[in-house]
Amino acid sequence: MKVLLFVIAVAVSIAAVALFVRGALTLYRLIGAGQPSPGRLGPVGKRLGNMVTEILSHRRFRARPLVKAAHWVVMVSFILLVPTLAIAYAQVLDPYAELPIIGGWPVWQWLLELFSVGGLVAIVVLFTVRLRHPSEPEDAAGARDWRSRFFGSTRWQGYFVEAVIAAVLVCVLVMHVLTSAVLARYPETAEAGSWVHYPLTFWVGQLFWSLPPVALEIGIVVAATFKILVSMVWLGVVGYATTMSVAWHRFLGVLNVYARRETDGTPALGAAAPMLVDGKAFDIRDLDDLDEDATFGVGKIEEFGWKSLLDFASCTECGRCQDLCPAWNTGKPLSPKLFTLALRDQAAGMEHSLDIFAALKSAGAAGELAAPTRDADLVGGVISPDVLWSCTTCGACVDQCPVDIEHVDHIIDLRRHEVMVKSEFPEEFNGLFGNLETKGNPWGLPPRDRMDWAKGLDFDVPVLGTDVTSADEVDHVLWVGCAGAYDEKGKKTTRAVAELLHLAGVKFAVLGQAETCCGDSARRAGNEATYQGLATENIETFASYGVEKVVVTCAHCLNSIGREYGQLGADYRVEHHTQVLNRLIRDGRLNVVAPPEDERRQITYHDPCYLGRHNGEYDAPRELLASLPEAELVEMEHSGSSSMCCGGGGARMWTEESIGTRINSARMDEAEATGAATVATACPFCAIMLGDAAASRDQAPAVTDVAHLVLAGVKRGLTNPTNEAETES
Amino acid sequence: MSENVVVLVGANAEVLDASTAELLTLAGQLGRPVAVVAGEAPQALVAELGRFGAAEVHLVSCPQLSDSLVLAKAALLADRAVAAHAKVILVASGLEGNEVAGLVAAKLSAGLITDVVTARFETAELVADKVVWAGKYTVTAKVLTEVAVLTVKPNSCVPLIAEVEAEVRQARFDFEPVAPVARVISAEPTAATKRPKLVEANVVVSGGRGTDGDFAPVEALADALGGAVGGSRAAVDAGYVPQTLQVGQTGKSVSPDLYVALGISGAIQHIAGMRTARRILAVNSDPEAPIHRLADLSVVGDLKTIVPAVVARLG
Amino acid sequence: MRIIALVKYVPDSGDEVGFEADLSLGRVGPSSRLSELDEYAVEQALRLRTELAGATLTVLSVGPAEAESALRKALQMGADDAVLVTDEAIAGSDVFGTATVLSAAIRSLEGGLVVAGMSSTDAGLGVVPALLADSLCWPLLSQAAAVSVEAGLAKIARVDETGSRVVEAALPAVVSVTDQSGEPRYPSFKDVLAAKKKSVATLTLADLGVDASAVGVGSARVEVLAVGRNPDRAAGRVIVDVDGSSVDEIVDFLAAATK
Repeated sequence: MKVLLFVIAVAVSIAAVALFVRGALTLYRLIGAGQPSPGRLGPVGKRLGNMVTEILSHRRFRARPLVKAAHWVVMVSFILLVPTLAIAYAQVLDPYAELPIIGGWPVWQWLLELFSVGGLVAIVVLFTVRLRHPSEPEDAAGARDWRSRFFGSTRWQGYFVEAVIAAVLVCVLVMHVLTSAVLARYPETAEAGSWVHYPLTFWVGQLFWSLPPVALEIGIVVAATFKILVSMVWLGVVGYATTMSVAWHRFLGVLNVYARRETDGTPALGAAAPMLVDGKAFDIRDLDDLDEDATFGVGKIEEFGWKSLLDFASCTECGRCQDLCPAWNTGKPLSPKLFTLALRDQAAGMEHSLDIFAALKSAGAAGELAAPTRDADLVGGVISPDVLWSCTTCGACVDQCPVDIEHVDHIIDLRRHEVMVKSEFPEEFNGLFGNLETKGNPWGLPPRDRMDWAKGLDFDVPVLGTDVTSADEVDHVLWVGCAGAYDEKGKKTTRAVAELLHLAGVKFAVLGQAETCCGDSARRAGNEATYQGLATENIETFASYGVEKVVVTCAHCLNSIGREYGQLGADYRVEHHTQVLNRLIRDGRLNVVAPPEDERRQITYHDPCYLGRHNGEYDAPRELLASLPEAELVEMEHSGSSSMCCGGGGARMWTEESIGTRINSARMDEAEATGAATVATACPFCAIMLGDAAASRDQAPAVTDVAHLVLAGVKRGLTNPTNEAETES
Repeated sequence: MSENVVVLVGANAEVLDASTAELLTLAGQLGRPVAVVAGEAPQALVAELGRFGAAEVHLVSCPQLSDSLVLAKAALLADRAVAAHAKVILVASGLEGNEVAGLVAAKLSAGLITDVVTARFETAELVADKVVWAGKYTVTAKVLTEVAVLTVKPNSCVPLIAEVEAEVRQARFDFEPVAPVARVISAEPTAATKRPKLVEANVVVSGGRGTDGDFAPVEALADALGGAVGGSRAAVDAGYVPQTLQVGQTGKSVSPDLYVALGISGAIQHIAGMRTARRILAVNSDPEAPIHRLADLSVVGDLKTIVPAVVARLG
Repeated sequence: MRIIALVKYVPDSGDEVGFEADLSLGRVGPSSRLSELDEYAVEQALRLRTELAGATLTVLSVGPAEAESALRKALQMGADDAVLVTDEAIAGSDVFGTATVLSAAIRSLEGGLVVAGMSSTDAGLGVVPALLADSLCWPLLSQAAAVSVEAGLAKIARVDETGSRVVEAALPAVVSVTDQSGEPRYPSFKDVLAAKKKSVATLTLADLGVDASAVGVGSARVEVLAVGRNPDRAAGRVIVDVDGSSVDEIVDFLAAATK
């Protein structure tokens, strides 16, 4: 009988392995057919090191500590189980077979048992977590539960892989129980079967001592066979279903982490990936080399780089991205998870699973269920325009993804094609692009008005080129930005920062009319050409005045100039005004004074995405607020790296929001829930968006830039420090 | 001796419209007004024309008028101008008016100045003023030819009653084009009560959040001024007006002579859509609203009481 | 069949303008460009090109050498080629002089359909299309909010101070379109690159056989005597209403503003 079982096991294994190899080859070909993704394979040492650390530490698993721990245990047990699967074949023929060398080592055996039991507990935990999340498009009450991160994930696949793990772990434990039992009852082998080698299962094994050894041996053989069959069925199914990425992530996820965008382990945020044309980064100053048939951005699936295709294939359908997506949570059809899965299925030429399709359909993002046509345009096909244009590029998805998928870069790549090749985009961008191209600012206002903010200040603001010849004559160059020059609130913030710098005795200058838009909105909208036109103009301006570092008041300018201009060969050190002000206060050059009465003021801080998530600066503004004696900082439900976007990024500031509810309104709800009377922020886009949301409510908190609060505090210290305190803002 | 000044009477010849009255007054300042009516005209119209100073009224029937886009009218007008030995021909400014004027000037080898706001004779030469470049410059020009054709902007002068007994002449004009011409296959006259289209209007009255949902004052003022109604983004969001009437960055861009912003804060997104207006009036109860910095006349007050009072005075 | 779209190179509406010695409006400024209203003409011409099998689109302008950039923009939008008529003698021409040059160019290019904008954003007369039709002896289909061509017959929907009309004529014809006729396309970057290869031909008066006496300042029928700068929009007057105290001033303001 053992031989029969062995033959069956081996036969099934051969078939399964064949399927798996075929699946692996299919994926290899599929991903390999992608465009070049330069720089993703090396430096090998650094990448390997980061990969190992990242995977072992699970540091990319944000929050959800229970899930993180459980997954870690399951992952380790999966790795440990591989050798036990190998030896299982031998165990079908000889129940006493052991792994060579390590088979009898207590260290190994303890590890194995700990992780088998731990793994089983962990997989039950994960199973429960998944079960508790409704992922029906409509639940029993008929309402969609959009907030579940598993909404739209393929349920049977999730349960299948979890069930397989559970089954295999049970088999392992059963085999251990029975092996311990059959060894321990006899003095010759008692030690081998004792708790020394079977620390946990020995005790259970004692229950089986009454059974005849033959029965136990048969039990072991059967369990071993079953274990092989279950594992092989898993292998075969997974090999057959190449889009079952909840299983494939075990292999592909590892590769994806290896080939991630940033080799230092930070998420793929901040700068958008450069636009590759024929494998080379596009530079607008270099158009002569451009091939006539060059395509820009990604229009069809085969135009994605191989790393992007690897991204789509690696998605675990965990939905952490979907959970935090501001668009999804306000009723837009965009879910970064569904977006990724749609592209995964398109790449594989496979129909969506029913769960994915139903979710897409209920979100208004899909039409008919059909196998995708290989050659089809992605936008307008598997990705609806509403999905594409709803993205604010806030980066929460990228930040959350445990397998390092680069959602934002993919969105931007698709947008690039829409804008630069098809010229199809939200019609509000006509005005935006035209204004940027002719007037150098999104509002189309005259460039000569850029210094209007400085009128009426009781000190002169030196302008580079007129009052000062070169940047090294001053301590700081203050980059005003478009909002800082043209928006009422923005202008006030610029004035406040200028006043603070002046009061601190800092020598600074501005570029005045020589500034043109940093280009962020153009780039996020997919208009790489216009962005580069603006950027290269600024780079030339910087060069002509020897500018190497700037201070900005806008988080988007911070990101563009500080993180993206480097792709065009020009690196600048960019500081945010909150960082500079923070330093000035710490150095004692600015003194914040408390208001006369002991008034406490509850303030909540809204992290701008491009300052916080994209550029890692969460502390400086908070420290600044903490330096205000009257301020009591309360945090919103989503703050820090899980902060909710104001809705203005991704060039959405310039478009109407006509689907679902307003993102800025949802964020303002969170602000109101803190009970704070003031919402402090550090970016003019956020100030405008949140200000709009506040204006349409009766009792909304006041929205203000951190700089104003600091200025008020500093000015108090300068006036007569008696009961007559001025309250200027 | 007064030279004849031919005035083309307004398109809808049933009723004497304001611009025709203005043209007659201007014609009276320049010479002897001769009104030319293309097509049918009721008797009452002739009396009205006389009331505003038309010494002669030519009632010209032209069977081809309704089929022709502008050529028949232009040919007819040129014909009458020659018959009257006119020194100056006045037409109301407009899409059609300017075209008719241009064709007449071409036919008569006359000088042409469009969108004039004033005109006068200086010694024997006709001099006129027009405003260019979104109101920034006033250009004064003189016509060098014997005959001058002018189109005159509405609201350029105040119509004055100068009662005369108009001499009526009936004439018939047959338009016989030598070259192929376009044919009008259907026509719908503008309903007199409809408000002008937002993007074309010379006067726009817009309401914002400060209207609190009640657009009646906005509409009343618009109607009193003969203007279009618009709304800020906030008003559109709140459902006070449809998005087609939104003025601003993501709505329509308007460039009227007069823009009235009622209950609008003046956020930059709105300003971007109307800042080229020649004159801006704002009423907003918030003294900090940015609109106060942009408007030529800015009133800090409650539009719900102020606007009805203004409308009552205008009516 | 050759469609000809007419474009004018003008100063940007937001610019401060300069005036020439003869007090005509300076055409070349810091951000001079293709007149925004002519973009609608190019857009409609492009659409008509698709409707007319085998048609090509030439974009034509009369102006200084710098006007080439306006033609480039039209080429980026998708026009096939461009022609610039440039000659010092043309400077200072009035609409009649301009129309003379344009109609000579149109005849020389053997155009079968002319598409123009509703008026230029600098001078704003709106009469050139009518003068062209007159000079070419072609039917005039002007100020169209919508235009279509079928079987050699062009049809427009027009809205003006008289009301709405539908007008048709057999080609060849002169068509002008308003800013209600459809948003001009934003050239994709591919279009921008493709445009670099398209040609801009230049013609002079001599090439067209037009006598210099028919154009230029000398032939102009109107002479500019003076140009006065009107005062800027000053920081306006802000008044606080107290029980209707502002009504008088508002009424006066409205009266003055609607003159």
